[in-house]
Amino acid sequence: MTKIRRLTALTRAGIIESLQFRLGTAVMLFGNLIYLALVYFLWKAIYDSSGTDMVNGMTFHDTMIYLILATAIFNLLEMFIVWDMSRAIQSGEIIIHLLKPMRYRLYTFWSYTGAHVNNFFLAFVPTFIVVAVITGGAIPMGMNLLYFMISLILALIVNFNIEMLVAPICLYTESTWGINIVKETIVLLLSGATIPLAFFPEGLRQAVEFLPFRAVYDIPLTVLLAKNGTDTLAGLLPKLGIQALWVVVLTVCGNLFWNHAVKKITVNGG
Amino acid sequence: MNSEAVVMKNISKEFRVLNRHEGLKGSIHDLFSRDYRTVKAVDDVSLTVNRGEIIGYLGPNGAGKSTTIKIMTGVLEPSAGEIMVNGRVPYKDRTANAEHIGVVFGQRSQLWWNLPLIESFNLLRDIYLVPEKEYREMLELYRSLVDLEPILHKPVRQMSLGQRTLSDILAAFLHNPGIVFLDEPTIGLDVSMKAKIRELIRGLNEAKETTVILTTHDMGDVDALCRRIIIIDKGRKIYDNDIGHLKSYFGSYRTLRMRLGDDSWVEQVIDEKETDVMHVMQEMQKEHRIKDIQLQEISTEEVIRKIYEGGKSA
Repeated sequence: MTKIRRLTALTRAGIIESLQFRLGTAVMLFGNLIYLALVYFLWKAIYDSSGTDMVNGMTFHDTMIYLILATAIFNLLEMFIVWDMSRAIQSGEIIIHLLKPMRYRLYTFWSYTGAHVNNFFLAFVPTFIVVAVITGGAIPMGMNLLYFMISLILALIVNFNIEMLVAPICLYTESTWGINIVKETIVLLLSGATIPLAFFPEGLRQAVEFLPFRAVYDIPLTVLLAKNGTDTLAGLLPKLGIQALWVVVLTVCGNLFWNHAVKKITVNGG
Repeated sequence: MNSEAVVMKNISKEFRVLNRHEGLKGSIHDLFSRDYRTVKAVDDVSLTVNRGEIIGYLGPNGAGKSTTIKIMTGVLEPSAGEIMVNGRVPYKDRTANAEHIGVVFGQRSQLWWNLPLIESFNLLRDIYLVPEKEYREMLELYRSLVDLEPILHKPVRQMSLGQRTLSDILAAFLHNPGIVFLDEPTIGLDVSMKAKIRELIRGLNEAKETTVILTTHDMGDVDALCRRIIIIDKGRKIYDNDIGHLKSYFGSYRTLRMRLGDDSWVEQVIDEKETDVMHVMQEMQKEHRIKDIQLQEISTEEVIRKIYEGGKSA
């Protein structure tokens, strides 16, 4: 059994470490403003040209709330495992990580948790409060917030597993940039982070139901906004169930893949 | 616990390397090439390291030193042979092995770049599950060996190379491991920092009876720290014995320098197996007036150089 002390120590160090980059948080929030201005005008044009207030069951208002919160979650979940791992492999520094008395995947996950905690309080919570105040009651304030936290943690683990399924590919291809771009694009598009899934053509929308990506953005956001009946346990539990299922499936796959990939280092020397 | 820290029996490590071709055409050819060759980085090496020893593990660049260290730490699987470190097979259970070893690679740091050193130490304490009491005692020991205060609250990225290396060595000993591997710990350091680092390594080895396996190109490190050295070249072990033995290994060479009547110096290398210093001086005195003499022992460095260049097997 891994001792809890190891994990909380990594979280703590991560918090201290990422607090050193307070300017980075400010820049990130500023970048969000520019991005959200773009999103605002883009979607305004879409709604104006459609001639109706409601497109695919979402008002302009709904869409904006959704996309702003999606951006906030993006800041919170963002990980750089693909970059970090490929750099560590190229420089040989991966050896230092492999020589920690913890399993590499566990060590990596918990090394990131501090940054997640920070981004939650410094990026997500302020954005959430601003949205909640401006929209004046568009976001329900009840049990959905608690459910959202559970869903968010599951989303975090799914996201980590997706990263860990992509990152070791650099051991086989010796290139990272392209792989990372492909991963980013697929995750952001198919998870509903850039375009709400309701806007997808029917076929694609159904296909996405069977992919893990929506467990990262679509489900937590739906739960947070208490849409699609997720404010009742009967509506909520299937959603959390899907997330939990992906956590299990991806963790198993990720472990298998990593155990295979790490042999590239331990047998071929990287 | 048995008395051996490391036992290696007939360990070999082979790598498969793609044969690369020159130029643009060659590079395109390489894309589809299945033309591999096998490189033997470590070739049938057997050795035993006893507890509490400081071993100098030497060899020219590319001799296979780092590969051996990586095999001992468990990040590389040997292609053949048996290995036990602290009674464990390192590559089979890398994480369990990692709890009982400490590692410093001179070129990279295991410390958290942005954190003050003390935070890195606290984190390592928790990761290695070091009891608080032992941790305090270890910090006390550190304070008695080096001046810890100026660096303890400094972020690692602001440290000089010397301070960083010092910190990394302290970090490697923090969980009181049975063995510490130091891969070129004094690389790039100034003379006084080197001396400090050597003192520290010896101090920790004596206080905690930690086995130290040290690779270096600096014979000063070897002279200051190691009683026993192992030399490998082209993956093969070519010497494994006391350092005192090494000097007489190629014959007991000494250099005799004599200042003659006209104030010029002449040099004579003497192999004491064949003749002795007094005899050479007597012979010289028959023809010259000797005003002054100097007698120089052959340095470890020169002996090692002879071995590297000669490649003679022990």
